[in-house]
Amino acid sequence: MSALTTAAPGAPVVELDLAELRRDPYPAYAELRRTAPLAWVPSVGRHLLTRYDDIVHAEKLPEVFSSREEGSLLLRTVGPNMLREDDPDHRRLRAAAEPPTRPRQVRDQWAAAFERTAHKLLDRIAGRGEGDLIRDFAEPLVAANLALVLGLRNASAADIADWSRAMMDGNSNYADDPDIWLRAERATRAIEEAVAEMAEVTRREPDGSVISSMVHAADPVALAEIQNNVKVIIGGGVNEPRDVFGVGAWALLQRPDALDRALKDPSAWKRVFEETARWISPIGMYPRQLTQDYEIAGVTLPAGSRVALVIASGNRDESVFERADEFDLDRPHRPHLAFGGGPHFCMGAWVARHEVSAIAWPLVFSRLKGLRLDDGATASDSGSAAGSLDGWVFRGLTSLDVTWQATA
Amino acid sequence: MPTVIFQLPDGTERKVIAASGTVLMQAAVSGGVEGIVAECGGNASCATCHVYVDSEQAELVGPPNDVEDEMLDFTAAERRPTSRLSCQIHLSDALDGLVVHVPEEQV
Repeated sequence: MSALTTAAPGAPVVELDLAELRRDPYPAYAELRRTAPLAWVPSVGRHLLTRYDDIVHAEKLPEVFSSREEGSLLLRTVGPNMLREDDPDHRRLRAAAEPPTRPRQVRDQWAAAFERTAHKLLDRIAGRGEGDLIRDFAEPLVAANLALVLGLRNASAADIADWSRAMMDGNSNYADDPDIWLRAERATRAIEEAVAEMAEVTRREPDGSVISSMVHAADPVALAEIQNNVKVIIGGGVNEPRDVFGVGAWALLQRPDALDRALKDPSAWKRVFEETARWISPIGMYPRQLTQDYEIAGVTLPAGSRVALVIASGNRDESVFERADEFDLDRPHRPHLAFGGGPHFCMGAWVARHEVSAIAWPLVFSRLKGLRLDDGATASDSGSAAGSLDGWVFRGLTSLDVTWQATA
Repeated sequence: MPTVIFQLPDGTERKVIAASGTVLMQAAVSGGVEGIVAECGGNASCATCHVYVDSEQAELVGPPNDVEDEMLDFTAAERRPTSRLSCQIHLSDALDGLVVHVPEEQV
C-alpha cells in the first residue's frame, strides 16, 4: 500500500492556513464539522475527520485506520516505535512498557516522589511572589517525574525537557528545516546512550521503571526497541501533562467559583482534569492511514488515504457536548477523546491524572497564597484569545505568568 | 449464541445476543449499549467498561484477573464485590442469560 497524497474522489477540499490553525483552530473545526466532516486539507496533506462519532468509529477499527503511516515525521525522528505500529507488534511493546504506568503502580510506587519534587520546586519559588507556572513549575515537575518512571536516573529534568522539545520540533518539521533535524538527531542520540546505560543497570537490578520492565519483559524486546519507545514517551510525556496543568490552572484563575469548589472539595480536581483535557486537548490530532477502501462521513476513502483524527474537534462537537466551547465542571458526563481510543489509548493517562490533579494543582493553589494571573494573561472564555496559547497538533500555554503573596 | 442483559442506570434493560468467544464489552459496544465506553478497546488500560455482575451469577462468571483487579480500584463509579471489566469477561453458552448492571459513570 502506498500513501496517497491527494484528495479522495468526492472529498471536499478545504484550504486552511496553518498559522491561523496554530493560533486558534476551533472556528475552523466548527465550520468543518458543519459543512465538511471529512475534508482534504492541502496544507496538512491529509483528510481531517472532525466529528465526534466518526472519530470514535475510526478509533474502534484499527485494522482499517492503521497507525502505520508512510512518510511519518515521527518515524523519521525516532525510528520504528509502538505509536506507529499496529497489533500484534504494538501490543507486544505496549505490554512490555505499560506495567509501571498502571494506576496502582502510580499510587504506590511513584506518587510520594512526585509530591516531594513538587514541594521542592515550590520551595524554590514561593519567596519570589511571581513567576511563570509553566517554566518554573509544571515543565520541570513533569520532566522529573518522567525521568523517574522511565528509569533514566542518569538524566536531569532539564535534559528530559530539552530532548522532548527537540523531538517534538522534529515531529512537526513540515518545513524540513535542517537545523531542526540536527537538534532532533542530537537529542535522540543522547537518549539512546542514556537508555543503553540504564538498560544495563536494570538488567542486573530491576527497579520497577519502564526501561526495567521492558528489559525483563516475558516477550523479548530488543535494546533498539526500548530506545525508540523511550524516545516516543519522552516526546509526548512532557508536553501533555504540562499543558493540561497550564490550561487548567489558567481556566481556574479566571473562574473563582470553580477554583473555590476544588479547594473545598478535593474530589473536584478529577473533574477539572477531565474537563480541561476535553476543552483544550493537549494532543489535537493524530494520523492514520487506510488499509482498505472505506466509507466514512459520506466519502469513500481509497486504501492508502491519509486521515487525521482531530480529537480536539471531536471534543468540541456540539451534538455531544452542549455549549462545547465553554469550560464547565458541571456538564453531564460524556467521555472525551483527549486520551485517544482503542489499543493506543494513552499509556501515560494514569500518570498524568495523578501528577496533575492529585498533586500539582492542589499544591500550587494551597501553597501560593493569593495566586492571580499577571495583567495581560487573561483571555476570552473560548480559550482562544490568549497570546501564549499555541498549536493545533499539540496545544497548550507556552507561559503562564502569575503573582502571589511571597512567603519566607 | 448467549444472550446477555444490560440493566441501565435509568432502570431500562437492553438484551444483546452475542457470539460465543467474544467478550462482554464487545457485545455491549456492538449492541449500542449506552454507558459502556470502552476507551481502550479491550486492553484493560482504561477502566471505562465497568459493570456489576448480578450477585446470583457472580460465581459463574468468576473473579477478575490481576491486571483487571488493579484497574477496578480506579473506576469512576464505586467498586463493589461483583465489579468486573466487561472486556475481561469471555462469553460462552454457559453465560447465556447473564445479567449485568451498568454503573452511572465510567469516566
